[in-house]
This record gives sequence, C-alpha cells and structure tokens, in this order.
Amino acid sequence: MSAQEVASSEAMPLEERLTALKRLSRRLALRNGIAMGVLWLITIVVAAIFIFVIIDLLVQGAPTLVKASFYGTSEAGIAPELFNTFYILILTEIFLFPIGLAAAIFLVEYSPQGRFITVIHFAAETLAGVPSLVLGMFGFLVFAVYAHMGTSRLAGALTLLCLNFPLALRLFEQALAAVPGELREGGLALGSTKWHMIRTVVLPSALPGLITGLILTAGKVIGEAAALIFTMGIFNPGNVFTLNPLVASDTLTTRLYYIKGPGAGSLPGVTSSQETALAAGIAAVLIILLLVINIAARGVGRAIQRRVTAA
Amino acid sequence: MQSMQRARLGDQVARVVFFICAILLVAVIIGVIVFIGSKAFLVFGQGVNIRGFFLGTFWDPTGNGDPTGNGNPSYGAGGLILGSVITTVIAVIIVTPLAIGTAVFFTESAPGWLVRIMQPLIEIFTGVPSVVVGFLGLLVIVPLLQKLSAPLTGNLPTGGFGWGAAILVLVIMVLPTTLSISIDALRAVPGSVREASLALGSTRWQMMSKAVIPAAVTGLGTAVVLGFTRAIGETLAVALVLGGSQIPDNIFTLKAFFQPNVNITAQIAQDFGETAGAAQNAYWTLAFVLLVITFIFVSISRFLASRGVYK
Repeated sequence: MSAQEVASSEAMPLEERLTALKRLSRRLALRNGIAMGVLWLITIVVAAIFIFVIIDLLVQGAPTLVKASFYGTSEAGIAPELFNTFYILILTEIFLFPIGLAAAIFLVEYSPQGRFITVIHFAAETLAGVPSLVLGMFGFLVFAVYAHMGTSRLAGALTLLCLNFPLALRLFEQALAAVPGELREGGLALGSTKWHMIRTVVLPSALPGLITGLILTAGKVIGEAAALIFTMGIFNPGNVFTLNPLVASDTLTTRLYYIKGPGAGSLPGVTSSQETALAAGIAAVLIILLLVINIAARGVGRAIQRRVTAA
Repeated sequence: MQSMQRARLGDQVARVVFFICAILLVAVIIGVIVFIGSKAFLVFGQGVNIRGFFLGTFWDPTGNGDPTGNGNPSYGAGGLILGSVITTVIAVIIVTPLAIGTAVFFTESAPGWLVRIMQPLIEIFTGVPSVVVGFLGLLVIVPLLQKLSAPLTGNLPTGGFGWGAAILVLVIMVLPTTLSISIDALRAVPGSVREASLALGSTRWQMMSKAVIPAAVTGLGTAVVLGFTRAIGETLAVALVLGGSQIPDNIFTLKAFFQPNVNITAQIAQDFGETAGAAQNAYWTLAFVLLVITFIFVSISRFLASRGVYK
C-alpha cells in the first residue's frame, strides 16, 4: 500500500495514517527540492553559455579593436566593410520600413478579421521559416539574374527585404495594435477619413513601437550573411566608397565568413595569425553593434511606457 | 466639396497601396516556391534518377573530382542530407531539455535578479549573427574537440572539424530561439492555473509538471519544431566548422563526428556560386529539399499552435 493510500484510508489507525502523511510530504518536498536544483543548474548552464560567448568574443577582439590600422582601408582594415554594412542597412530599410509598415497598416486598420489575415499570417510564418541561404539563392535568381541587377547592393537589399518582411510585419502590427481603439474612434467621430485618422492619430501614438521595430530589423540586417553571399558578393570594387547601388560589395559578416572560410590563407600580405586577429576584431565589432542596437531598442521601449503611464 | 472628394480619393489610394504591400508578402513566398521549384527538377533530366540522388553518397556536380579522370559529374546527395539530419536532430535533442528547463524555471520560480539578467541576454542572443558563432566555434570548439578526440582520430590535423563541432554550434544558435518561444508559451498560461494547482496543496514542482507544462504543451512543441526549422537552415556557422567536401567513409562510427564532414547548407554556401548550368541545377534541388523540409516544419508548428488552449 502506498503512502498516499494509507494516508487517505479510513480503515487505518490514525497513527499510521499520520506517519504515512509525513512520509508522503517529505517525499514530495524532496522531489521538489531535486527538481528545483536541476532547474537551477540548467538555467545557470544556459546563462553561462550566453555570457561566455559574449565575453569571449569581446576579449578575443579587444587587441584588434584598439589598433588604428583595423579601421583603415588596407587588406587588414574594415573601413570598406563598415561603410558597406551601413549602406546596405539604409538601403534595405528604405524598402523595408515603408512596405512593412504599409502591410501592417492594412492588416490592423483596414482588413476585415478572418480568412485574409490568416492567409497573410501563414505566408509570413512560412517565409520566416525559409532558410536565409535558400532566400539568398532565390534573390540571386530573381534579382541578380532575371532582373539583370547582377550581384549588387541593390539585389542584396531586395533579398534582405524579402528576408526581414515577416519580422517587420509582426513588429509593426504589434506597435499599431497597441494603440487604443478609443483614439481611432475619436478621430473618425470628428469626421476625418480613415487615412487622415491613421496619419494624425494612429501613427504618432505608435511611433515608439515603430522605431523599436525599425531598430530590431536593423539588427537582423547587420547580422545577416548567408542571404548576401550570392546576391551581393564577397568582394569589393576598386572604389568601394560609392553610393552606386549596382556594384558588388561585402559586409562585416560576409567579410568574416570569407576570411575564415573560402578565403582563409589567401589574403594578400596577411599572415594566418593576423587573419584570426582580424576576424576576431570583426566579430567583436558585430557584437558591439548588436549590444548598442539592443540597448537602443530597450531605451525606446521604456520611452513608450513612460508615455503610456504619463497619459 | 472638392476637398472632401480629394480626401476620399486619397483614402481610396492609400487603401489600395496598403493592400498591395500586404499582398506582396504572399507574392514573395509564392515566388520563392515557384522559382526554386522551377529549377528543382532540372537535374533529373540530366541522367540522374531520384534514387541515385537521394541515396548516392558521392557529391561532385562539376565532375572535377571524378576518380576516373573523365570529368563525369556525380549527384549523390545522400551524405549531405544525412549530415543535415544528424546534426539537426542531435542539436535539437540537446537543446530541448536545456531550453524547456530554463524556460520553466525562468517563468515559474526564478528570483527577480536572475530574470533581470537573463531577459536581455536571451534577447541579445537571438540576434547574434550566425557567422560570429561559427567563428567562435572555429576558435574554441574545434581545437577543444580536436584535443578530446585525439585518441579516437589518431590526432588528425583536421580533427575537431565535423559533425561534433557543428552540433555544438547549432546548439548555441538554436537555444535562444527555442528558449524565447518556450518562455512565451509558458507566460501565456494564465495565473489561475498555477493558483488552482498550489491551492490544492501541490509543491512548486508538482504545479510546474502537472499543471503548467501540460497546459503549455502545444506551445512548447511549437518551440521545438521551430528549433528544427532554424537548425536545418543554419548555414555559415555550420559551414565554418564542418570543413569537409565529401562524407567520410566510416560514417557509422563515433570517429565520423570528429573529422571533416558535410551537410546540405555548407555545401551550397561553398560551391553554389562557383557553378553554372547543369552543375548548378543539382544545388537548386538541394535548396528545394530544404524548402520542403522547412515548409513541413512550419505547417506542423502552425497545427500545434492551432491546438493550443492558451495563446
């Protein structure tokens, strides 16, 4: 007879039922303690992995980060890659922000609830699941080959638009949906058209959320590489500091891949240990950019809260 | 009157523009399927049968590595597919307990200070560029595995590269995704479920394992499935630490995990850009295989999400 049965059985003497109850509660407490210990351990391990990765990347890159030549235009410098990364970021956001926002406005403000929204969300989830490498091949085929853009910044930016569309849509939808309905009704009751109401009421209230979305998609754009190696190339033209969107170019991430991957040991005038130092520097720069973006996004998030609580 | 008409016209135009942007998302995913699908079956018109493609183990679409020296291409993708499946499955098996354990602890009983540390860490980590993780794998994991596996591989200079390193890199890449979706799933379970369980006299562990986890099980399933999606499409992180061009002979021994090896994505990243015409068709087939696999995973995750009680 198990402790539980003894404890709940009327037929047993009271003494025995009490001891059984004590045994039962001790066993439950023990099991609870063990489970909590295991969960603590798992969580600490996971946190330790995260902290180790970030700290290790920063430490490995630190000696390179303080060298002036690291920011130069030579083979061991990243000035072209920094320029390209921000260029492609801005070019991508020029497409992504308005298109993503427009799609989100349609879904939140115009579209009737129902099948249409389900279809769009299913499409978004499917697109979000497509590996960035496969999307890069799609971009290569459609933008570089069929649309005759060649491997170029424009083809890269359009591929990144496809890649980040689902994320941008979700973030912008959340930002718009957070605007209370009374504000909309108030605007419409004053006789404005829907688009006028959205422009003057919804978009200003949703602005912090939209900017957070913009910052978070920027992080994705900066960190992407697999979608770019076929669409934007991994080499720079002679004059890289040009605004021409039709030239091939690399970014921080594709440069890092090239240095340690296909181009390992073949950089002119760079030894193997210098290569690793260069790669470590680029990795550290990427991590720092990521941290800055995250802090910025949180800062904007806090600004929203302040606005909401102040109102 | 005129200004009102103009306002109404503007409203109509805005509506149409927003609608087009929303539809664009559907167009992109259909385009991805159609364009990649249109190239996926060309290889089977080049004297390759489906059986040979999926079960063959010698991958050499350009024919440069033909052992007879005649330059005959071989299209055996079995080894590549095996590599993707093995690394993905083992990585997700490792990630699942770590992610769900951490998520349960994080949402149910972690002290406030730990939550305040972990929350930004998880958010930062979801955005870490995969090429950076690959670089870290090259710097830390590969040398470590080389040392550990030295007695097994006979101290190969290339030991340490391969499936083992790829699995560990995938764990780091997939963990934050699965973890954050698991946390969302657990947070969606209303507090009343927990209170009801505790009020019946449960210990904390009983409350978690008997009430909260069953209530969130579909959401946790979604998290694991999306982990698979992320892992199978992961490219550059894996490409840097796999370091092989053909599957080794002794794949059914432990040794296979510690010597240069292959998977689908790394092979595409390395060679797709350098091929053309008939040789390239084989890579489109691989891309289509990835696309189909991720589509199946996304459908499963959507099915699970639709079965969930708490959203």
